[in-house]
Amino acid sequence: MKNVLGALAVMYLLLLSCNQEEEMTPVLPHNPEIELDIPAAFPPMNPSVEANKPTKFGVELGKKLFNETMFSANNSISCASCHQQPKAFADGRARAVGIYDRAGLRNTPPIQNMAFMKFYNWDGNLLQLEKQPLVPIITHEEMGSSISEVVTKLSAVPEYRELFAIVFGKGGITPERIYQSISQYEYTLISADSKYDRIQRGEGDTFTESEKRGLHLFEQKCAGCHSTALFTDQTFRNVGFPVNPDRDEAGRARVTGDPSDYMSFRVPSLRNVEHTAPYGSFGQFQTLRAVLDYFDKGVIAADNLDPILKENGNRIPLTESEKKDMIAFLKTLSDSNFISK
Amino acid sequence: MKKLKNFLLSIVVISSLTSCSKNDDHPVANNITLHFSNMFKNKAIVLGDANSSTATVNTSAEGQTHHFSELKYVISNIRLIKADGNEFPYHINDLDKGATVVDHSKTPTLDFVLTNIPAGEYRQIRFGLGVKQELNTLDEVRFPNFYAAAGANDTEMHWEWGTGYRFTKLEGFWDLDKKELSIHTGSTIQGTEGEFTQGVDAYRDITLDLSTQAIVGKNSPKITIVADFDKLLSGKTNTLILGPGNATPSVHTAVEMVKFVDNLGGDGTSDMTGMFSIGGVEN
Repeated sequence: MKNVLGALAVMYLLLLSCNQEEEMTPVLPHNPEIELDIPAAFPPMNPSVEANKPTKFGVELGKKLFNETMFSANNSISCASCHQQPKAFADGRARAVGIYDRAGLRNTPPIQNMAFMKFYNWDGNLLQLEKQPLVPIITHEEMGSSISEVVTKLSAVPEYRELFAIVFGKGGITPERIYQSISQYEYTLISADSKYDRIQRGEGDTFTESEKRGLHLFEQKCAGCHSTALFTDQTFRNVGFPVNPDRDEAGRARVTGDPSDYMSFRVPSLRNVEHTAPYGSFGQFQTLRAVLDYFDKGVIAADNLDPILKENGNRIPLTESEKKDMIAFLKTLSDSNFISK
Repeated sequence: MKKLKNFLLSIVVISSLTSCSKNDDHPVANNITLHFSNMFKNKAIVLGDANSSTATVNTSAEGQTHHFSELKYVISNIRLIKADGNEFPYHINDLDKGATVVDHSKTPTLDFVLTNIPAGEYRQIRFGLGVKQELNTLDEVRFPNFYAAAGANDTEMHWEWGTGYRFTKLEGFWDLDKKELSIHTGSTIQGTEGEFTQGVDAYRDITLDLSTQAIVGKNSPKITIVADFDKLLSGKTNTLILGPGNATPSVHTAVEMVKFVDNLGGDGTSDMTGMFSIGGVEN
């Protein structure tokens, strides 16, 4: 009799604990897609966005990862260390600096409007944003780590385990999921609310006289390359800037093997250019004025120098006052909402 | 009766034991060892630093002297072709098992042992110099051992910006004043077929007929594959002159790289052997 009672007691307790376990399993919140606010006249989105649409928690997770120093070997830097929001996600340095002050090859590019880009990085080596995060993680001069190391570190943090489960379901933390969530966050970094944009939308702002003159000069002298609503036509050109002495540098030719691409770089977007000094593929120019002075004086000749320059005496001439007007106009491309938290 | 049973039982036991040893005489599989022999023409390569007096010096067709301080390359995608034409793929989708980094400074890496090769006669070997595109993604999770072997500090066969592996890494010196020579090759291909694709394909598939058939069975044959690095500059496809633009061809650049790749690995069409040849087969 005692044995039977004992057995029944054990069974009852087991049933109780089973029920308790069921009650303790958290119900994961719903993870809806986020509607991206696509600015008028922007180019079509990269097809990768369709396959990795930003979601509420995907973006939250991506942002958290973007700011996570565990991505680096010595836990000292995160993506945000080089991609700082007040600088339109550039870093104000000529060349990037990684762990242990290691110097990078090139100038940190800003992160804005990535969803609308066909190529990523100065030489366009990547066509899909999801393929980018691995590069700084493993590069010796950047984070000097490995994706397995990052996965291990993240997996030890309950908050990450939960966020990954909310966004991706079962299967834990994987490299692909890390790249996807970071990319989802970056897709939401859209900048289209500058003074220039407000004027385009007829929201009441007006250009000053100087800015207006600058706009006309821009259309004559710059829009041949810095065209479209992104202020880049996303082509690769050699514009005769001072050459990077690092022997690893070959511009787009590094990717294509085509000598005619030697020292050609992607035309950078001029949005928020006021905030993304220094300028050039390895930060050759400290100020916009310095860039314009350089174009005015004359660029370095090259066989594959862009025709726009080659056919015009290797220069873009501008008078003193034209330069001032041009800079005034370029400042109207600054989006203060984009650079502040 | 019991005695008869025991007798019959012992006959069964003994015959099964002897039939086991009969099977040992005809194994269904055995190893093949690939021995990589790195040469400058008919001289074995000895590595050395800038001022080395023992390093093997080679002179190119254009009269340029050079020697190496580092010599590494990736071999993968190995297929063995039997006398009857059947092809045996050796872990061709597994870099951990089927690929190796041949590092001239590490003698053990000059021998790559292929295990569990089905018994039979083999007349041809095919392999890749480099990593085929589908696997060239620096996927550490999928192939942790190859990733670690290639990425070790003393090996440096990761190509970070290209998110792929280096296929060859040659460091050395050229000309009387020992100018620096640094040649790395790798693929920069991005994009999916049918859509926009870009980049250079530095993978080369090599086909070598075995001078003597390799017989796998009771014995485990050794195939010597000669890699004649004289072909680097004096190749079947290109005769190259080293100069400021290409001796350290912007180390990671593809511009001059393809010419070296075609010399080392063949051009993929008319030249399917590049610098490789069979040095011999020991059965």
